[in-house]
Amino acid sequence: MTAERLLRPLPGLCVLALILGGLEAAVDAGLIRRALLPPPSAIAPVLWDMLASGAVLPPLLATLRLVFAGFFIGSAIGVAAGLAMGWFPPVFRLLEPVVELLRPIPKAALVPALMLFLGIGETMKITSVALAVLFPVLVNTLQGVRGVDRVMLDAARTHGWGRAHTLLHLVLPAALPFILAGMRISLGLALVLAVLAEMLAGQGGLGFLILDMQRSFLVRQMYAWLVILAVLGLALNALFLLVERRALHWQPALRP
Amino acid sequence: MDFLELDAVTKEYPNRSGPPARVMDQVSLSVRQGEFMAVLGPSGCGKSTLLQMAAGLLPVSDGTVRIAGRRIIAPPPEAVYVFQQYTRSLLPWRNVRDNVGFAIEHRLGRRRAREVAEAQLDQVGLEGFGDHFPWQLSGGMQQRVAIARALAAEPAMLLMDEPFSAVDALTRLDLQALILEIWARRRLTVLLVTHDVDEAITLADRIAVLTRRPARMAEMVEVGLPRPRDAVATREAPQFLALRRRLLDRLLLRHDG
Repeated sequence: MTAERLLRPLPGLCVLALILGGLEAAVDAGLIRRALLPPPSAIAPVLWDMLASGAVLPPLLATLRLVFAGFFIGSAIGVAAGLAMGWFPPVFRLLEPVVELLRPIPKAALVPALMLFLGIGETMKITSVALAVLFPVLVNTLQGVRGVDRVMLDAARTHGWGRAHTLLHLVLPAALPFILAGMRISLGLALVLAVLAEMLAGQGGLGFLILDMQRSFLVRQMYAWLVILAVLGLALNALFLLVERRALHWQPALRP
Repeated sequence: MDFLELDAVTKEYPNRSGPPARVMDQVSLSVRQGEFMAVLGPSGCGKSTLLQMAAGLLPVSDGTVRIAGRRIIAPPPEAVYVFQQYTRSLLPWRNVRDNVGFAIEHRLGRRRAREVAEAQLDQVGLEGFGDHFPWQLSGGMQQRVAIARALAAEPAMLLMDEPFSAVDALTRLDLQALILEIWARRRLTVLLVTHDVDEAITLADRIAVLTRRPARMAEMVEVGLPRPRDAVATREAPQFLALRRRLLDRLLLRHDG
């Protein structure tokens, strides 16, 4: 059982190793120019230096802070608006046109406009991330609220639950699987927008560094930061799955 | 004294083409305080619709529903509805204790609700199951949780919608015995919808027989079997068998139209 669990990721890891080995060989053979893509063996020491010296921490924390702040603000607004729109029909009629108009805009396109209003500081970056996070969470919350079983709602009514109590203690937990699915989509978007905002208006953070290294012809450093960004994305997703599993332990698919 | 009164209750649903579809036509009945009444009818005749209107969960198209003399337009505190689909009416994210506390937490608060819930679980034979989740229990046990939840609200009346139709035959007998015992001990008024003739005769004082759609009152039958009854032994009484024959004949005849 344990051995099986340990062996399961092995084929995938082999493919990864094969790609890295292939790149190494391709660069060595002169198929790829070193200036464009240094071999993995040249990037690894740079990466190691960054990790060992602790130089990786300040930019990583800057980006992480941006992602978390934007993610929580955007999620909170998305859940609140989704619940209100799903549960109170007048609110839905009030907000639906605005939501439908803003939703299809790629939020990256709004960053220049936000810079006009909010400058190039943290406020603008957090707002960009929050905007990207808001809509998938809102739409999923709305869908979750509408999907609450009528029998369950009738059970609340026959026991005399009020609208507010029902919203908080029945509709919200019943919609939670949808809400969390929306938040998982948004987490990826949060990272995209954080990196983009840092590239456009950065004084630090992973996005700024990746662009800065490329402009300074520090190609190995650029790839090293890229690896760190990839690992960050992977870690955030794993963390979220963990939280999701705990929150939804009662779901059929997650039962022990 | 009549506790629940339905007076010429009619239910229609709007129809896109043509006149509205009438599913219930001028049904009148009254359930006395402390009485156990069953509503019997062919499936799809609108028995559940009747019960939902009695519970204030569904508006009537015409006629009136009264509970304890008051006209019902929203779910009244005196009557609690027990659903056929326990898998959909229990909250899957709550353990058994908090599912029972559901009935009263908005009035008493979570902590007090848990204490009451624990006491209710003892009464339906689920002591020690408070920490379990609904999906860890059998169907019969889940329906016991639903019954405990309804009882926790201390209603004067239970409105039961085919509560035992989704469990196996042995469990059904078990739950019927439980409901007989609770009804007698708590002096409840019960209106129970069923398509199971045996169940109706075993449990009820009177049986309201409905016609096929649109549902009308076909007959009000006095059961007359002595109490206390037994979910098994009562079914051997000659009176039981005669009534069973009469009701089945009537229902099957109507069924073929």
